[in-house]
Amino acid sequence: MGAPIRPVTSTPARRAWWLPAGLFALPLLAALALALGAALDAAAWRRLLDDPALWPALSLGAWVGAAATVVSLALTLWIVTHLHGSRAWARLERWLGALLAVPHAAFAVGLALLLMPSGLLLRLFAPLAGWESPPALATVQDPFGLALIAGLVGKEVPFLLWNVAAQLRPVAQATQLRQQLQAGQAMGYPAASVWWRVLWPQLMPRLSLPLLAVWAYGVSVVDMALVLGPTRPPTLAQLAWSWLLDADAAVNAQGAAASLLIALLVAAGALAAMLLARVLRVPLRARQLHGDRPAASRTAALVRPLLGAGALVYVAVLALLAFVSVASVWSFPALWPQRVSLEAWMAVRDSLPVLADTAVLALAASLTGVVLAVAWMETAPPAWDRRAAPLVFAPMLIPGVLLVAGLYQVALRLRLDGSLAGLWLAHSLFSAPYALVALAPAYRGFDARYEQTARALGRSRAAFLLRIKWPMLLPPLAAATAVGFAVSVAQYLSTQFVGAGRHATVTTEALTLASGGQRTLLAAFALLQALLPAMAFGAAWWIARRQARRLGTEG
Amino acid sequence: MLELESITLATPQRVLIRALSARVGPGDLLVVMGESGSGKSSLLAYLCGTLAAGLTASGRVRLDGRDIDALPTVQRRVGILFQDDLLFPHLTVMENLLFALPAGAAAERRARAEAALASAGLAGYGPRLPHTLSGGQRSRVSVLRALLAQPQALLLDEPFSRLDMALRERFRSFVFERLREQRIPAVLVTHDAHDVPPGAQVIQLDDHEGAAGDA
Repeated sequence: MGAPIRPVTSTPARRAWWLPAGLFALPLLAALALALGAALDAAAWRRLLDDPALWPALSLGAWVGAAATVVSLALTLWIVTHLHGSRAWARLERWLGALLAVPHAAFAVGLALLLMPSGLLLRLFAPLAGWESPPALATVQDPFGLALIAGLVGKEVPFLLWNVAAQLRPVAQATQLRQQLQAGQAMGYPAASVWWRVLWPQLMPRLSLPLLAVWAYGVSVVDMALVLGPTRPPTLAQLAWSWLLDADAAVNAQGAAASLLIALLVAAGALAAMLLARVLRVPLRARQLHGDRPAASRTAALVRPLLGAGALVYVAVLALLAFVSVASVWSFPALWPQRVSLEAWMAVRDSLPVLADTAVLALAASLTGVVLAVAWMETAPPAWDRRAAPLVFAPMLIPGVLLVAGLYQVALRLRLDGSLAGLWLAHSLFSAPYALVALAPAYRGFDARYEQTARALGRSRAAFLLRIKWPMLLPPLAAATAVGFAVSVAQYLSTQFVGAGRHATVTTEALTLASGGQRTLLAAFALLQALLPAMAFGAAWWIARRQARRLGTEG
Repeated sequence: MLELESITLATPQRVLIRALSARVGPGDLLVVMGESGSGKSSLLAYLCGTLAAGLTASGRVRLDGRDIDALPTVQRRVGILFQDDLLFPHLTVMENLLFALPAGAAAERRARAEAALASAGLAGYGPRLPHTLSGGQRSRVSVLRALLAQPQALLLDEPFSRLDMALRERFRSFVFERLREQRIPAVLVTHDAHDVPPGAQVIQLDDHEGAAGDA
């Protein structure tokens, strides 16, 4: 007989797979450990639990998170049920990327400019209502958090729609879906009923992770809450954030404890949703198999007008940012400003270093994120690749206040607090998971036979990567870089906290201005916050188009 | 000369190929036939050193007297052609060929690539991108590319099955002629008896356990 049986592996040069993982996981785990260390302080918990501000803030935070999640989910299910397969759906799918690219903070500022008592919406109604001055209505920062919930829903519905679209895009999935819809309709069910009774029960489990992200974000959001959220009392995340920024170390510890409480709230909510899903399984299944054939739903006719309104809000939000930035004198209830000037933009020109810092930091962080993601996918053994998934999603699910409190401690110990290097580290940690998620489908879907061919032609792995694989994957690599860039630009908590307030970006400038009276400057910085990632996405789109043109794969 | 000595391939569940042995002389062809799932593609992956993780193999592979079964793919000098042409879509035809040619003087490499194109009736196609060529032309370029890497053996993984009937016949003789001319031993896996040229050795794999060459 021949040689003894031995396992054969196709790729020998994969020994360093722990390196990218370690570079990402070590600071993250250290930050978590240090945050937990700071948060597990008995005295801080006593002070936290005795604080009369805690319970109102906690219930408000839970309410905002829960309401935003439930409303976003309901709207998503309803839109997909009635729109999927139509030409309007295809159009919506094309625009989702652009909607997702609008940063949360810029969206919040634009929405505030639209809704606030002196905002555009109430100016439109002023002649009817006979208002001479802005009415005393809490249309933003209302005590129930409704404006904040509206802002969250406006950003989360596109996110959930994008996740559904990603699930249904693969050919096999799309075919199966079409066949099940046909089969159900052949049995006399209207299409919407087939969705509710057959398709959603199959798709919902795959939406649980995005839904968890939506819930976690809603409970722990700070930047949107600073613009739209209630102030007396604020949400728990806002309260924790203000405590973390306090000069008193004991108050800081209380803030760390509150951050941990937010994480516990996220976990408790997830657990409750799982239990609810389990309890509802039997009655829901019975409902699905009931056998009645309901008439086609009448609410279907409302989907398109609602989507039109949603699109109008996005257009109004962005247009208002541009418009308000030049409206230096604009008294209520006039629809056109008394004086239009570029004063705010002159001020922006004077703080050009802020813009440059933002862009350089975002470029460095996004490239680091993409390099880490590529290094991980090139080296990780498949088993570890699967096991690492929870860690990748950790920065999206762990409340930002908690993670940032720990990252600050890491930066402090590395003597990087208040330095650009510390910010680069923090932003890279937040960018990397998004870069990985954006890149993974194309990168993992790359036809392995190209590598076999290149190797069989006698060329090295390096030549294959540099000449074949990475050039062929240039469009997804550029897209992942743009995603990482957008994540870095949008960073507020980490920039402010790890940077010790010493480094301003367009985001920190916008949110600092949000509490002041310089409305034109606020609008200008919020617009810049939206424009920077838009430019990155535009560049990625241009690269993809150029490649598609060259290779004849357009359309 | 390519020598396979009692090659056994197995998944954790079952043995795919048991003790397969064969000798393929210069310019000769070994045809391995079997249904899908019989392990014929895994055999080629084993021969060129890209066997998927989870499969185990034993046996010896000798190429011109060298033991190659423990070498990495790059050092084996075993070329492979798949069902799809797998031309690198972002490189021109010329760049695809240059990627395969061993290092050397630029002018000489270019001249050899031009000569290869001309020999295949593709003179002047160098600057074009693969997607502007017809399917038959692309297939020919992929053969030229594999041969310009100067392999000492060539593996063919059903390279004819994508082409329509008329094209397939011409392409088959194009490939076999070149292999004979350049005296390269080749292994062809296929499930189509029409692919077998006269005079080739044929090994039939069964799709159940304990395949051909059971001793």
